[in-house]
Amino acid sequence: MSVLEVKHVTKTFGHNTNEVTVLTDVNFTAAAGEVSLVIGPSGSGKSTFLTIAGGIQTPTDGDVVVQGNGLAQLSGKARDALRLNHIGFILQAYNLVPYLTVKDQFALVDRVKSKGNLSATDLRHLLEKLGISQLINQYPAELSGGQTQRVAIARALYQNPDIILADEPTAALDSERVKVVGQLLHDLAKEHNKAIVVVTHDLRLKEFADKTYAIMDGKMTVA
Amino acid sequence: MFLALKEIRHEKLRYGLIIGMIVLVSYLVFVLSELAYGLAQQNTQAISSWNASKVVLNSDANDSLSQSLITKQTADKVKLTAHEAYIGQAGVVAKAKGQAKLSAQFLGINQSQFIYKRVKVTAGHKPTTNHQIMVDDSFKDNGYRLGDKVTLNSTDTQYKIVGFTHNAKLSVAPVIYGTLGTWRTLSHVTSDFQASGIITNRDSFKTKTSGLSTLTMGKFINKLPGYSAQNTTFTFMIGFLMIIAMVVIAVFLYILTMQKLPNYAVLRAQGIPAKVLVTTTVSQALVLVIGGLAIGATLTLATVLALPAGVPMSFNVPLLAGVTGGILLTGVIGALIPVKVILNVDPVSVMGG
Repeated sequence: MSVLEVKHVTKTFGHNTNEVTVLTDVNFTAAAGEVSLVIGPSGSGKSTFLTIAGGIQTPTDGDVVVQGNGLAQLSGKARDALRLNHIGFILQAYNLVPYLTVKDQFALVDRVKSKGNLSATDLRHLLEKLGISQLINQYPAELSGGQTQRVAIARALYQNPDIILADEPTAALDSERVKVVGQLLHDLAKEHNKAIVVVTHDLRLKEFADKTYAIMDGKMTVA
Repeated sequence: MFLALKEIRHEKLRYGLIIGMIVLVSYLVFVLSELAYGLAQQNTQAISSWNASKVVLNSDANDSLSQSLITKQTADKVKLTAHEAYIGQAGVVAKAKGQAKLSAQFLGINQSQFIYKRVKVTAGHKPTTNHQIMVDDSFKDNGYRLGDKVTLNSTDTQYKIVGFTHNAKLSVAPVIYGTLGTWRTLSHVTSDFQASGIITNRDSFKTKTSGLSTLTMGKFINKLPGYSAQNTTFTFMIGFLMIIAMVVIAVFLYILTMQKLPNYAVLRAQGIPAKVLVTTTVSQALVLVIGGLAIGATLTLATVLALPAGVPMSFNVPLLAGVTGGILLTGVIGALIPVKVILNVDPVSVMGG
């Protein structure tokens, strides 16, 4: 079942002679239970695609439909609520609040979204699976790049979203950890019926994807 | 509040410095306010103790009790009741053997009138004859004792201290209460003059007697030499300090908020409502300002207790509460300035290309 649809989306920045078209007539569908991989080099428009798909940016043309809700019709507040309740972001950088311990990163989610988050047992399993259960009292500054990335993944998964949008989730990880994260995203899609969209240039994730798209110069094609 | 407290706990040095800055600003404002209050009190303590409403002076005295003289002939035209009292004022220098000279305000009062009855005795008794005086407690602090013989100005006449009274100051000088007869002697006037003025505690009091003018106590106090200028100066200083406090707090919070924007952008991307971030910023400002104010107030109290009695500072809780409210309000206004930046934070700014 399709939970995320990107329909004829074009995104243009600037005006007149400075106008740059980052995405051109992009169409994309993500279904529950699937991992969709969007592969492209830096500057190809991957992150712009992800921010539009997640309702952070609005397209110049076209629309995004999340679980039947056209984002163009929603107010900013409603889009915030939709992101909080249905979309989990795994970002490239600044993923964690620097003055919160790992444990408090999850406590913060509890404070703004009291229902639907992972149970304590599920969280413990998730942390064990990611190999970070011993880090719960550490601050982000005390973590390595790989550990930070894994905590950020756990943080995004904790709010138990229906759709997970990941921006280079394996950028700071070694091959072994890439496999763990890839498998985790795959399992989440299969076992928990999540729609996972990963934009990356890391081809190592290809083996965990159900569908792979390529993005180049703002145009998306099925790979 | 969760994010606010967690951040303060984690960034102890940074927030410690901000609290330290608020402590210094609030301490300065508190000390100045209490000093202003203490000085204002010392200008009017004696008047306040009479609980009077109006004062009648010679119309040519420019609203000054010390410049006013009312003749017996004029005074007789004013119908006095139990609510009115004559008063004679004279600036004097008191000296006693072995004691430091003290500048004071001599107030001559009539035993049968209300001021005499209102004045409270802390030791001894009230003066009953022309050679007896009752003095403010500050004389005691300067070594004067009951029974001491005091000379006033350059006269040879000796006056015996028969009583002490508390909080009796006028124009920041201690008050010496005595008889109207003594006042005449010290003012070098004959018995043709009744007093410097007439004090009444009746709001409805009126007199149309020629040569006299009636002032409300508020107006009379404002006309005390230096009183208005001093209060206006302090009010301006405190006002400017509050504005400075607001600007400093606002600048600090603005810089802090700007530094936190990448974090806020991530939180916004994750769907954390802008309201939560605004509440965090404002509550953090409140915690910092309240913390600073509490320490500032404690330091002020310690200062008031440690300073010698001669420094006219007094710890007034309502005044302190008012100033606290003012700084708190300026702190909140300062914290609200970066709110627009928070509301406009762009989550895209933290997304890669």
